[in-house]
Amino acid sequence: MAGVELLSDQGYRLDGRKASELRKVQARMGVFAQADGSAYIEQGNTKALAVVYGPHEVRGSRSRTMHDRAVINCQYSMATFSTAERKRRPHGDRKSSEMSLHLKQTFEAAVLTQLYPRSQIDIYVKILQSDGGNYSACVNAATLALVDAGIPMRDYVCACTAGFVEDTPLADLCHAEESGGGTTLALALLPRSRHIALVQMDARLHQDHLDMLMEAAAEACRGLSKVLDGVVRQHLQEVSVLTRD
Amino acid sequence: MAADMRLPTAGEQISSSSLSLLDGKHLVVPGDVITSDTGFMRGHGTYMDEEKLTASVAGEVERVNKLICVRPLKTRFNGEVGDVVVGRITEVQQKRWKVETNSRLDSVLLLSSVNLPGGELRRRSAEDELSMRDYLQEGDLISAEVQSVFADGALSLHTRSLKYGKLGQGVLVLVSPSLVKRQKTHFHNLPCGASIILGSNGYIWLYPTPGQQDEEAGGYYTSMEPVPLSDREVISRLRNCLLVLAAHKILLYDTSVLYCFESSLSHQIKDILKPEVMDEIVMKTRQRLMEQEG
Amino acid sequence: MLKSKTFVKKTRSGGVMKIVREHYLRDDIWCGSEVCVECKDETPVLQKDACIESNLCTFPHYLIPDTNVVIQQIDILEDPLIRNVIILQTVLQEVRHRSAPIYKRIKDAIHDKEKHFYTFTNEHHRETFIEREQGESANDRNDRAIRVAAKWYSEHLSKAPDAGDLKVVLLTNDRDNKEKAEKSGLIVYKCEEYVKSLIANPELVDRLALTSDEQNEITGSRVVFPEHLPLSKIQAGIKSGTFLQGTFHANRDNYLEAKVYVHGEGDESTEVLVQGLLNLNRAVHQDVVAVELLPRENWVAPSSVVLIDDAQNDEDAEEEEAEKKVRKALDSKPAQGSTLKPTGRVVGIIKRNWRPFCGMLLQSHIKESTRHLFTPADRRIPRIRIETRQASTLEGQRIMVAIDGWPKNSRYPNGHFVKSLGSAGDKETETEVLLLEHDVPHLPFSQAVLSFLPKMPWSITEEDLKVRADLRHLTVCSVDPPGCTDIDDALHCRELENGNLEVGVHIADVSHFIRPGNALDQEAASRGTTVYLCGKRIDMVPELLSSNLCSLRSNVERLAFSCIWEMNQNAEIISTRFTKSVINSKASLTYAEAQMRIDDTSMNDDITKSLRGLNKLAKILKGRRIEKGALTLSSPEVRFHIDSETHDPIDLQTKELMETNSMVEEFMLLANISVAQKIYEEFSECALLRKHPAPPPSNYDILIKAASSKGLVIYIDSAKALADSLNDAQVEGFPYFNTLLRILATRCMMQAVYFCSGMDSDFQHYGLASPIYTHFTSPIRRYSDIIVHRLLAVAINADSTYPDLMDKHKQAALCNNLNYRHKMAQYAQRASVALHTQLFFKNRGILNEEGFILFVRKNAIIVLIPKFGLEGTVFFENKDKPSPRLSFDEEGPTLTVEDHPFHMFDKVKVTISLDSSNIQHQKIRMALSEPVIPGVSVSMPETEPEAKKPKLDR
Repeated sequence: MAGVELLSDQGYRLDGRKASELRKVQARMGVFAQADGSAYIEQGNTKALAVVYGPHEVRGSRSRTMHDRAVINCQYSMATFSTAERKRRPHGDRKSSEMSLHLKQTFEAAVLTQLYPRSQIDIYVKILQSDGGNYSACVNAATLALVDAGIPMRDYVCACTAGFVEDTPLADLCHAEESGGGTTLALALLPRSRHIALVQMDARLHQDHLDMLMEAAAEACRGLSKVLDGVVRQHLQEVSVLTRD
Repeated sequence: MAADMRLPTAGEQISSSSLSLLDGKHLVVPGDVITSDTGFMRGHGTYMDEEKLTASVAGEVERVNKLICVRPLKTRFNGEVGDVVVGRITEVQQKRWKVETNSRLDSVLLLSSVNLPGGELRRRSAEDELSMRDYLQEGDLISAEVQSVFADGALSLHTRSLKYGKLGQGVLVLVSPSLVKRQKTHFHNLPCGASIILGSNGYIWLYPTPGQQDEEAGGYYTSMEPVPLSDREVISRLRNCLLVLAAHKILLYDTSVLYCFESSLSHQIKDILKPEVMDEIVMKTRQRLMEQEG
Repeated sequence: MLKSKTFVKKTRSGGVMKIVREHYLRDDIWCGSEVCVECKDETPVLQKDACIESNLCTFPHYLIPDTNVVIQQIDILEDPLIRNVIILQTVLQEVRHRSAPIYKRIKDAIHDKEKHFYTFTNEHHRETFIEREQGESANDRNDRAIRVAAKWYSEHLSKAPDAGDLKVVLLTNDRDNKEKAEKSGLIVYKCEEYVKSLIANPELVDRLALTSDEQNEITGSRVVFPEHLPLSKIQAGIKSGTFLQGTFHANRDNYLEAKVYVHGEGDESTEVLVQGLLNLNRAVHQDVVAVELLPRENWVAPSSVVLIDDAQNDEDAEEEEAEKKVRKALDSKPAQGSTLKPTGRVVGIIKRNWRPFCGMLLQSHIKESTRHLFTPADRRIPRIRIETRQASTLEGQRIMVAIDGWPKNSRYPNGHFVKSLGSAGDKETETEVLLLEHDVPHLPFSQAVLSFLPKMPWSITEEDLKVRADLRHLTVCSVDPPGCTDIDDALHCRELENGNLEVGVHIADVSHFIRPGNALDQEAASRGTTVYLCGKRIDMVPELLSSNLCSLRSNVERLAFSCIWEMNQNAEIISTRFTKSVINSKASLTYAEAQMRIDDTSMNDDITKSLRGLNKLAKILKGRRIEKGALTLSSPEVRFHIDSETHDPIDLQTKELMETNSMVEEFMLLANISVAQKIYEEFSECALLRKHPAPPPSNYDILIKAASSKGLVIYIDSAKALADSLNDAQVEGFPYFNTLLRILATRCMMQAVYFCSGMDSDFQHYGLASPIYTHFTSPIRRYSDIIVHRLLAVAINADSTYPDLMDKHKQAALCNNLNYRHKMAQYAQRASVALHTQLFFKNRGILNEEGFILFVRKNAIIVLIPKFGLEGTVFFENKDKPSPRLSFDEEGPTLTVEDHPFHMFDKVKVTISLDSSNIQHQKIRMALSEPVIPGVSVSMPETEPEAKKPKLDR
């Protein structure tokens, strides 16, 4: 029996989207009072929560202190109930550590860390439900949390995945599409300057296809940035209205 | 066992009428270009991106002559000389304490900036250095004043006044520093029977009004006397009132706290934080504040 | 765009998991009709005047078939008459799930612009998506989805202002579904009703597949098969190990026996024997089935009986007789532990692999009957019962028939007529049949493919010269069999100043003309190889390329891909160079001509010198190769002399091998090996290579047994040992013995296959004793070589790469296709030879020839006639004669017939004749004439054919 058909001849994907369409994105900022910044995002069925503490004095090992900029500390974890099969270790496994590292790299590219020498910024993200594109949901959630915390950034960081099926790039893959074989590329972009914060792909892809795939991912990131922008502005207005006096 | 469960209600949409209040405000998000005119000076919350003045935080643009800043909605405490703060000792070092004050870096309280028992003119000896922990140890809360600001933004504190010093029994409430209104005094003995220190850094200390000024304690004596129930109830109520005000982003100062306290009297303390009760209390408080202003 | 969300929850067996998936329902899916103004479809597919003349539907209408109609009546839907059909996504998905070939066919129909088939994505449409209800089965839900979509269409179309009478008609064979549809006010017909109502085309009715409704009438047969188990039970059984899953392979010689190849872990696979009609349980050749092993005491050995289902009609009496015969044969042999094979019975079919079968109609004895039996050309396929009114016209014609189903109370599967190919016995028809049966794509090249050919007149451009080595000055020549027009290799050899020799192999640069990914490339990849039949060539690439632009003809400038070595006089390679080049061949020679030049000492021109140099080196190379253990095998090959006018075979001769044959071969091998090394070095993951695995020792059993009967020992420890012992195996006064032995050895070998280096670890080529090998030298006739050319071109920076070339999975898929096509091409070639042999003997009457026994079976011997390279079976059992006494000894193996023992390699004389009694399977009949065994052997034929003989002895 043949595997699932990821893209039908009519151009529809498993969940009814077209190749370049994103999933429904919903987000909220400032979901926790005790953290400096926090945000919650839903990209389809992928749900992520991010909290930001800092900048604050470097805790733990002093040796990490940077004298010219702030240290960014990321921790990625997945709730045990986030996947179809219950996860044994919510964090600390190899995948999570790798993801933490990627997030750190992403935000070091975007946050103006040189403004806060000898400080530390903590970003904690947790996947509450996983349906593909965990990395991008984390990046997007963390961006919102950083904005909420008032930490200066060059631009938003928007991330999105893109896959490659039957010579067509698909934007924003869901879990079924990610696991259906084929290549997945995760891109984190500073949408206004179009600078790439991080790009990651761990399957083989022919060079000729790369541009197409990158373009699809970048387009998806820009689409996402519009949504995030809307969320931030909405939040900004709501809060400003409350503190108008 | 019956439990009182509540689901969060959808955040109310801001009406277009309230939006009109924002007309005068210039709101930006990170990456927004504020101006490409090179005649301006770059202030906080902005950076230069290819000759363009760009916002790096989400917030409101403030313009002072040529200086353009963006004030974020929410940020860590940016201390200035003279600010009253409440902080917690995190570390005891040579001749100094490190104090967590909700700043980007821990503040410093030098041994030379505290009043030691025995009078102001006492020399600091090596013995004092060794017994620093007897005065203040990790975890202690203090009230202090910003003495100076270091180059990297860290604060230097002093407690050279009898108002300042170690805090004893009471309740700490954390709010955003931007919600604390700067006033002549941040120490208030509220008429409702409790006292409050409104730290500019957003750390607010509620404590029973002391009976008499205990001069000789020098700020390092903490009374371990049990606090009467009535005082405790007042403090609890005040604590909830502060949270209510903070949740609705109402500036905190003695009057607003007091009005809020009074508005809440018709409800039980435990009910104050229920959303509908909160709304009601806030409405009443706002009204009274407006009457007072108007 | 509206995006609303619903959740589809699924549980999967093996630990219940809740899977939540999003499903976006859309409002921008158009109905695809020309009349509709509401939908913003730019290129509507469905026509406004969708008229198929029908008694039932006098108005224009669109058809909506349900899943079963599509699966069962695909032949009807494919008819050009049927147009304007809406295929619902639900239907398409179900079809995809249930039958891959039909899915492909329906997709082809959808892509065909003339057919006006439209796919409506109802599952993603806001108004036609439905949720499965509590207690509703998946099938019922799908049926309901189809009804809902049909309903939506009828309402949607009625809203269009100029729709007129346009309606949608639902086709379903499901009674329940039909009733429900009628209730909801839809126009609904059964497929039969509808097709029968079509006015213009009565012949469509024949193509109707028999459906379950009608099967009731055809009962009465006594054979009742056990019920097939449902899929869920089968899967559970496979999981628990009580059942085994495998591919069903019917026995060619015995219709009551089959093997099931069970795919085990890794490479291991086991065989399960299945015997008897009931145990076979309606499985058809190539089906994927589930088998249950019988208890060990019921295990049997494979019978060596040859049994053909000759029953003339439905009558089953003969069946039982035949079955008895098998049983007798089985019982006669004491159960020997060693030969017993795991035996089982088929309990269910996991996947049918039915395709349309070629064959002939077997007319019913009852004249007016519309039900007839169809006998497929492939003996492994059971006969099929079909219904047709054209029986009399179809008699004597080759037809194609598709199987529809095999109910458990029917002796034969039910099927329907697809098309007629022409009259049987006719050479064109028979060739067509063998091409179809072997799945050889042989249709003329489509316009799309031809559009990618270079424009004529074509010439080499300046740009070409710039990037290519100019080798036009070299004395290059080609050596090929006579009459060859697709010359893909040419050679040169010259002495260098330092005393070394420069040898060049120049291969036609086909990849220059066939660019990756275009229609021409896809067609070539799909064909995989050129198929050479007797007197006919099915080209892989269009003739303009194969016989002209790519063919390295003499005295024209051609593009080539050259492999140039510098060698010393001992044929040791000093350096190797690959380059794209331009050459100008000085001569196209045949093997014989080249041989003549080499031998003729008076000739001393450049070409001859070059040839002599090559020949000398080739001998050294060959010697070295044989030293390493390369095998020289043999198979009887014959060539037909074809009459140029009638294209009938007039004579046949066995292929003769000359020194020059081996000279060309030697350099081709060298080039292939050099290229294989190079591309593997460059692309260790995706090099296309060819391997020939060493056969398992058990394969040699027959060879060792046969040799030991003559007192010889064959060593099989290594290729080298085998080659040596074959060389030493000579029998005094029996010169042909060695050849026979080599023929046997050939049959012990494994198939050589293409593979992708990233997907395998064993690269060895056993037959050539080379650690690595590929195909580089025949790009005109093999697609594998084109890929190798491209890889090599990338490796030397002469060409750019493209994605699929570097994708090892796509490469592996390509290899599978190439292997399949090659195998089929070989079979087709053999079948073509067999066909021509028959035609040849048709004109010859009865001949008496000398032959050797190649194999001994339980009731027959297989005889090889060296003169014709013909192999045939001599049966000792005949229906109309009492059987002679037969006793079979496994060990010999010997068959004793009436006291006369037959051993392998025994020389016998047989009469050869064409048996046309069964026009379907004309066959060469052999009968024993010497040694004379009373009641078994036949008398010598009259001397009449002798007159023709001199012609053969030439």
